[in-house]
Amino acid sequence: MTSPAEPSADAIRFEHVGLVLGENSILEDVCAHVPSGKFTAIVGPNGAGKTTLTLAILGQIRHTGRILFPELDGTGRRPRFGFVPQRLVFDRDIPMTVMDYLLSGLQRMPLFLGHSKRHTDRIMRYLEEVECAGLADHAFGALSGGEIQRVLLAQALLQEPDILILDEPTSGVDFKGGQICCELLRRFREKYGFTELMISHDLATVTAHADHVICLNHRVFGEGEPRVALTHQVLSETFGLHLGLPDLHGIPQDVRECPEDCPLRHEHEHLHDHCHVDGAEHSHGCTACGAHSHGKEAGHAE
Amino acid sequence: MLNELLLRLSEFAPPEFMRQAMLGLLLIAPLAALSGVQVVNSRMSFFSDAIGHSAFAGVAIGLIFSLPIDLSMAGLALAVGLIITYLRRGSRLSTDTVIGIIFSAVVAFGLAIVSRNREASRNVNMFLYGDILTIDDREIAMLAVLLAVFLAFQFFAWNRMLHISVNEQIAVVHRVNVPVYQYLFSALLSLVVILCVRAVGVLLVTAVLIVPAATARNFARNSRQLFFLSLLFSYASCAGGLLISAQRWANVPAGAAIVLLACAMFAVSFAAARLRRK
Repeated sequence: MTSPAEPSADAIRFEHVGLVLGENSILEDVCAHVPSGKFTAIVGPNGAGKTTLTLAILGQIRHTGRILFPELDGTGRRPRFGFVPQRLVFDRDIPMTVMDYLLSGLQRMPLFLGHSKRHTDRIMRYLEEVECAGLADHAFGALSGGEIQRVLLAQALLQEPDILILDEPTSGVDFKGGQICCELLRRFREKYGFTELMISHDLATVTAHADHVICLNHRVFGEGEPRVALTHQVLSETFGLHLGLPDLHGIPQDVRECPEDCPLRHEHEHLHDHCHVDGAEHSHGCTACGAHSHGKEAGHAE
Repeated sequence: MLNELLLRLSEFAPPEFMRQAMLGLLLIAPLAALSGVQVVNSRMSFFSDAIGHSAFAGVAIGLIFSLPIDLSMAGLALAVGLIITYLRRGSRLSTDTVIGIIFSAVVAFGLAIVSRNREASRNVNMFLYGDILTIDDREIAMLAVLLAVFLAFQFFAWNRMLHISVNEQIAVVHRVNVPVYQYLFSALLSLVVILCVRAVGVLLVTAVLIVPAATARNFARNSRQLFFLSLLFSYASCAGGLLISAQRWANVPAGAAIVLLACAMFAVSFAAARLRRK
């Protein structure tokens, strides 16, 4: 993995982070680290405190212990975050175009006086990157779930983040939206050099694509490179024994290859057609190709 | 009583009063239209209702402490607006519950005090239905100052208010100072509502805010059109409503005429939007 950041530096370090809401202990003595410039996934079952931990990183909730950003030591500033929520619930009848929405967070001049060329140009560059340039003048409320996720990704990238946080970005979106977790994000990470932190309960995606994984169920049960950290013991402790877990280590090395329909098989320019054709069926595109490990990606991880 | 004399005279709607009323409405229309847009976007119509109903308690406080009624009304509206915003932000109670509790408290308090005072209970009718025809220079001046401040806020905050209304959490993470915008807007909205109560009454004040904005939503395709169309519909209903109310055949209060006209426009826009979608 080529990363412009120092390979040894951590973007985030959790030191004994704890949080109690009412009588429920949400986070208990969480110690973990998020390597800089890499893709880290936080996995765990529903209600494990994953989203709470995200809020803690963002400084939106009080907690005990410390959350440090060693990468920025000495600069005296807090990291810039980009954030893509799980699923955007909003009033779809608000009259605004995609461009209106993206400008609303950036432009100082009120939108009723017009759009500034400087911001519009910059936004168009990012919309092109997420393959949404054609949507700039569409009504934001009329977009599909996957299109909204990509617009939100463009919005997060427009922040020029140090750390990009994605909360279950692929849940409940179409195949094209699911792409976010795979190819698109890897390209952006290499291009912009941010640290990517994804919350996920999709183990298959994590094993295939993440550089680093943190297993969280109120406590940290294990962390490290997915193929090393995700042992049977760690997984059953994190997710509970009753789950039928995929045997991630039982896959023979020689079948580490994508099936025909795996998105990673296709180069970028093919991605587009592919998705429109198959959009409906492959609601878990990443899962499909992550069920076995991807040769190319596994190579990076090792 | 000067008030009664004015009321008598207003039945004939002499041009001087009409001019004054029209001037008042020209100031109220943009206040109502633009705050209405954000009330609709942020689902704050219940909030606006609660502020309107705080008028009774405002009158009561004015009586108890012998303050000018308009000052005590504005002061209480501001306090209620900021308290609701504070509780809404900091508590796990749902917004509806928070507003509902404060709503009931201010109405009950207002009724309790006002009903003990015969003079004041006669005034209550005026706040229930409002009366734009008796608006005086002092109130016009207050509206003009509020409009200036409010427009300045819109220049500063229109974009960010839109951003926040789509998703508050994204706005926070992307370094929008959400509390500042929310408190400023709540404060200004409270003042807008309480000054509009004087014109159209407690019962109709929320309608004056949200109906033109809702109508504009049915036609607007982007944020800019929403801004100008809501102004257009607000001006049209205010001016049209006042003119209709002044006709001998109509003989209805201005507030009612304004809201009826605004609702008629909404009905047309709703039908038009339906047809367009088909």
